[in-house]
Amino acid sequence: MAELNSPDKTLVLGLGNPILGDDAAGLYVVKELKNRIDRADVTLAETHLGGIRLLDLLAGFDRVILIDAIQTKHGTPGQVYRLTDGNFDAARHIASPHEISFTQTLELGKKLGLKLPSDIRIIAIEAAEVSTFSEQLTPAVQKAIPTAVETVLIEINK
Amino acid sequence: MRKITIDPITRLEGHGKIEIFLNDAGEVANCYLQIPELRGFEKFTEGRPAEDMPQITQRICGVCPEAHHMASAKTLDAVFHTDPPPAAKKLRELLYSCFFVTDHTTHFYILGGPDFIMGPDAPPAERNILGVIGKVGAELAGAVIKTRVQNHHAIQMLGGRAVHPVFGLPGGVSKGLTEEERKIIESTALDSLEFAKLSLKVFDDIVLKNKAYVDMILSDTFTHHTYYMGMVDEHNKVNFYDGRIRVVDPDGKELCKFEAKDYLNYIAERVEPWSYIKFLYLKNIGWKGFVDGKDSGVFRVAPLARLNAADGMATPLAQEYYEKYFATLGGKPVHHTLATHWARLVELVYAAERAVELVRDPEITSPNIRTVPSAIPDEGVGIVEAPRGTLVHHYQTDSNGIIKKANLIVATVNNAAAMNMSVKKAAMGLIKPGKEISEGLLNTIEMAWRPYDPCFGCATHTLPGQSALPVIIYNAAGKEIKRLG
Repeated sequence: MAELNSPDKTLVLGLGNPILGDDAAGLYVVKELKNRIDRADVTLAETHLGGIRLLDLLAGFDRVILIDAIQTKHGTPGQVYRLTDGNFDAARHIASPHEISFTQTLELGKKLGLKLPSDIRIIAIEAAEVSTFSEQLTPAVQKAIPTAVETVLIEINK
Repeated sequence: MRKITIDPITRLEGHGKIEIFLNDAGEVANCYLQIPELRGFEKFTEGRPAEDMPQITQRICGVCPEAHHMASAKTLDAVFHTDPPPAAKKLRELLYSCFFVTDHTTHFYILGGPDFIMGPDAPPAERNILGVIGKVGAELAGAVIKTRVQNHHAIQMLGGRAVHPVFGLPGGVSKGLTEEERKIIESTALDSLEFAKLSLKVFDDIVLKNKAYVDMILSDTFTHHTYYMGMVDEHNKVNFYDGRIRVVDPDGKELCKFEAKDYLNYIAERVEPWSYIKFLYLKNIGWKGFVDGKDSGVFRVAPLARLNAADGMATPLAQEYYEKYFATLGGKPVHHTLATHWARLVELVYAAERAVELVRDPEITSPNIRTVPSAIPDEGVGIVEAPRGTLVHHYQTDSNGIIKKANLIVATVNNAAAMNMSVKKAAMGLIKPGKEISEGLLNTIEMAWRPYDPCFGCATHTLPGQSALPVIIYNAAGKEIKRLG
């Protein structure tokens, strides 16, 4: 955890469960990004945590780009979204029934005086299979990883 | 990029929901709590080295990885027929105590607490941690965060990593404790104990001094007379890490006490066509349906059950709180589901006190932390008490220690039958013929299942203000008439 709270400006955080199929999409994106960028001001990290536990990871950064799997009613597996504030909590790991919503998490952190990023962006990848244990992505999601990587690179440079 | 509207899948099949069916008269006829289950775990683990299981199983759940890790390490001790040295057992229990402090703290203040601290009638916008801060003050809220951070740090020092410890090995642990680390954890444990005491004072001031809340805890709507299961030490005191599993009947009398390896002699599974998960019941008593009483094999686990199933707490201060809890609630056992929140705080004191005891144990810094296995591995069962209840791991391997079969019983499954009954009773209390179904029903139903804190296997996404378990009500013709959450 300590290495995540560095003074670097931007945190790129992949969220997901590494053994739950497409749920791991965000982790794959970060893995690939590690081959693509090497900048002192950008921290690349992966986590399986959600809800309030994210607060510990976000503190100290100016900007954060979260990469998560998502499931929407009419979504096409592999579709890549850039989420805005209003629909943050639809992503899979930033909220959970055990925890509180992402928006509440941020508000809580601010109330407690934590320095939290003011600029938060989320790149989400539509998942097909997230309820069967597997270390593999489905083909559509696998194919979407490069698109998501490019999308994150554009966000980093924005 | 174009603007998109996120239409959540939460209400589709495979996600948690509660379905209520009414009869011709408009009364509750049936109630089904649907909990999604992750699939394919057995197949996923087949053919893997058993030593990998503590790392694999802790990834099942982002909420309680430490509980799976610990159950798995204990299962490996059994599979490899090895007994860890005393220091290794103490280090495991110390890590586990720190984990209980963080988890119980989170549940009380962030999940369960809002119902009480803000009151059941507070609007949802206030009935959350932010509302709680408004009421208890930022200072206490800061202490909640500090307790979590300190204990996560302790877990990191003990386990080598903050979240997914690489710690438990067959026959012991991978890493000892230095004197320097010990001092830091001692200070954390002492701070946690003060915090736990403060939390019980908050409960006393806000909940127990308010007659309306106490009446609600004692009300029939939130009461079930069931069997209770929990792990106990050799003196029948609550233990989270090791001991035997004890079951008491609805009158508080011991029904049975068994070793982990014998669990299949005592617990049986019931399959219902409408449910993804199976319902467990006591084999000796038998399945009589989703009903209360001595003749029904339905049992409960988690804090309420653990306190009922034991004769007391193993640490002095927790014992005092334990006695007050039962004296206030009318003696043992306590059947009031909402008292689970209070029981959780009694356990919070115990976890912190136990951490202090363990970290001050002269043996805790011993370098003798592993008994290297020498026997041929075959089969083993490991049980711990997870914060949400009894957790069972059971593995079978070939003679090289490769997994042939793995079975897990998680706390939510133990509690599933009782949870379903609790939800039905809450619905019956509020749905009356000719009376319009109000939005308040959702809140009451949430209060009925929240004490159990069901695990959904993974983080099901929920939109802000949306229930993790939406409620859908159907009339006698099977037509949906109302949807809440």
